[in-house]
Amino acid sequence: MATATTATPELKLERVNTPPAQTWNYLRANDITLTVPSESRKGDVYFALPRLFEGIECGMGPDVTAWIESQAADAQYVEVRAGERRIEPIIATMDTGVMVRTGAEATIVVCADAQATSRTSAALVRVIAEKGARVRVLEFVATGDDQQHLESVGITADEGARVEVRQYFLGAHTTAAGLSCALNGADARFDLTCRYLGTDDQRLDINHVVRMRGRNGRSDLRESGVLDGRARKTLRATIDLVHGSSGSEGAELENVLVLSDDVVNKTMPVILCDEDDVAGNHGATIGSVGPEQIQYLADRGLSQEEAEALYVRALFDEALICAPTAAVRAAVLARAQTVLGTEVAGDLVDALQLDTEDRA
Amino acid sequence: MSERTQNRTQVADVDRSLYDFTYSEEGYERYDDGLTPDIVRAISKKKDEPEWMLAMRLAALDTYHAKEMAPNWGPSIAGLDMDHISTYVSPKTKQAKSWDDVPDDIKTTFERLGIPEAERESLAGVGAQYDSEIVYHNMREEVARDGVIYTTIEDALHDPQWEPVVHEYFGTLIPPADHKFAALHYAVWSGGSFVYVPAGVKVDYPLQSYFRLNAEGAGQFEHTLIIVEKGADLHFIEGCSAPKYYEANLHAGAVELFVKDGARLRYSTIENWSKNMYNLNTKRARVGADAQMEWVSGSFGSHVSYLYPTTILQGDRSNCEFTGITFAGATQDLDTGCKVILNGADTTATVDTKSISKDGGCNTFRSSIVVGRRAANARASVSCQSLMLDDISRSDTIPAMDVRNATANVGHEATIGRISDDTVLYLMSRGCSEAEARTMVVGGFANPVSKELPLEYAVEMNNLIKLEMEGAIG
Repeated sequence: MATATTATPELKLERVNTPPAQTWNYLRANDITLTVPSESRKGDVYFALPRLFEGIECGMGPDVTAWIESQAADAQYVEVRAGERRIEPIIATMDTGVMVRTGAEATIVVCADAQATSRTSAALVRVIAEKGARVRVLEFVATGDDQQHLESVGITADEGARVEVRQYFLGAHTTAAGLSCALNGADARFDLTCRYLGTDDQRLDINHVVRMRGRNGRSDLRESGVLDGRARKTLRATIDLVHGSSGSEGAELENVLVLSDDVVNKTMPVILCDEDDVAGNHGATIGSVGPEQIQYLADRGLSQEEAEALYVRALFDEALICAPTAAVRAAVLARAQTVLGTEVAGDLVDALQLDTEDRA
Repeated sequence: MSERTQNRTQVADVDRSLYDFTYSEEGYERYDDGLTPDIVRAISKKKDEPEWMLAMRLAALDTYHAKEMAPNWGPSIAGLDMDHISTYVSPKTKQAKSWDDVPDDIKTTFERLGIPEAERESLAGVGAQYDSEIVYHNMREEVARDGVIYTTIEDALHDPQWEPVVHEYFGTLIPPADHKFAALHYAVWSGGSFVYVPAGVKVDYPLQSYFRLNAEGAGQFEHTLIIVEKGADLHFIEGCSAPKYYEANLHAGAVELFVKDGARLRYSTIENWSKNMYNLNTKRARVGADAQMEWVSGSFGSHVSYLYPTTILQGDRSNCEFTGITFAGATQDLDTGCKVILNGADTTATVDTKSISKDGGCNTFRSSIVVGRRAANARASVSCQSLMLDDISRSDTIPAMDVRNATANVGHEATIGRISDDTVLYLMSRGCSEAEARTMVVGGFANPVSKELPLEYAVEMNNLIKLEMEGAIG
């Protein structure tokens, strides 16, 4: 995980994470403005990705793509050959392009931890999944409370390709993440699981876009999270059923647990439909732990606070189970120690029988 | 061609012969096209308004010129050129209390639309606006005896008892700076209704206002102000139509509804403007404690619509129900939906909308649910279902939710799809033709909305749907 060096003057990136269809501006849900170090010239002279990657739509928008490219000292290009089942995960750097050739399989890991020396970190990942490819993208944001992290992902999937993305946004002062996946080929599939936690004064801004262009595509977006303290979260999730995507189906579901009256939770689940022979569904539930659930748990000896803490712990549990490398596990555990305390984090290690060297 | 393509329903355009008839404007008073302070002053002078109203109009005109339309959302209104819109057109007649006193051409218009018949059969009162002015206004005597006021805003402004009330409420719920076309409305408003229902009075039959825009290249800017006092109950119906022209027409009305503690207001609208109409209407209700606001909205006409009735649930335990249907056909881009702001504790909101797109029509359902910090135990649910009848139409759903209370519970669900082949096959296996089967499915789809409408409107809506669905099956 590369980080940008602090530089002055700073730059304002406006209209970041803008969804394809917007709504009333007074709701302040259409985009986010970020202050980042000014553009550098590092990206000009070193290795850049093949031009093919320039056409990929990334979730945070072209301005963020340009900014990250300018900050990255180098770009990493990885090609997984046709038919290859790559076991070793590809660890994304600040600017990474992955070409997964026909029938190949690959796992890509993006991890932002608290080790960064500057206040702003960023990652730009672009993936091309060719015909029948299998791609798994695992994203973990577990930075410090004073850090800002930008993560922009763009994926294209050809005929019969399968893309699975798991995102764990576990904390940063500001997390801005955008993901765009274009199902260009017929029978392509995209599955997204996004779990997030917002506490204290944290700000979380997420933009998910699925462009369903090929026939008989499938997309399934599942987002869920816990918000506490004075956390502010905005989630935009767009399923775009483009003309010609006949036979496609897209579904999106978000569940939000709100634990504090000071939380600001904004959700914008959008379906755009330019084709009749398709199905698009979305749903959202936003609320607290219900009185019946609290009572049920109380009957079993759990207070409301303990019950709510279980939700947070479960989030870290899942992130640890999915963490593919020791470095990622260490980053998640370090964040768990900050959020849940050392004792609970230790419990997690024991319960999951993790290698002790994972202990942060 | 695939089997699915072959099975698509090819539907005819709406039969609008009921609405597509016009009468000459000869002898009408028509102000110059465009927007100038002189035109605004002329409208105000003609109405002999209080000074405060003229000042409000002129300030709103400045606001209109200063404001821009949001560039990042909504259908295009590039075809609307205010330099070619007359903001005031008045037939040469005075407001009548008997249909016999209404000029023949105008009376014939409303008779063809069934207004006098509806008044006789099932209404407590009727107002009829023709272009910029109300031409007929009447209310049953027994309703008037209960202290219900149903008149025009202009008449209320000239009544010493009601002028202070209008002054107190007018423009407070929808401020002129709300958006560009709200500002335009306040600059040139004309006509509309003022309704006051005293505390505890239940009006047994609905009141109805019908708005007809006959003039070509003109705008209609009526203002509706309704105050339902504590514990009172009212059903208000609004209907609108216009003949088709090849020039743009504009409707930029405003509806301000004040529903006091324990009161109930149902506001039903069937909008059937012609397809050269830009419908940029603003409606808003403020609801007191234990009060109830119900919206029933059917949008069938207009070229472009921006329409989002807004409910502010200010009082504790207040409630809002919104039921709507939008039918977008060829050349139509209808951006409709609603907004609910839950500020009071234990407030509830239910939104249930349907949309049907066909013949290249564009439907956008846009909503916002905002739960404020004080709205403990607020509950809101939004359901949006969209039906696509062909592959050249478009249907988008763009909801937004902003929740700031931990005890609130907000749910949202939306589906977009076509008529299932299995369903059609099932109905055909029981003796229906394919056309009948598809009409039946669309009718069933719209039924939750039509059953909320007054009978004559439900019949009209069902006929519209039936007409839409008639035609060849390709």
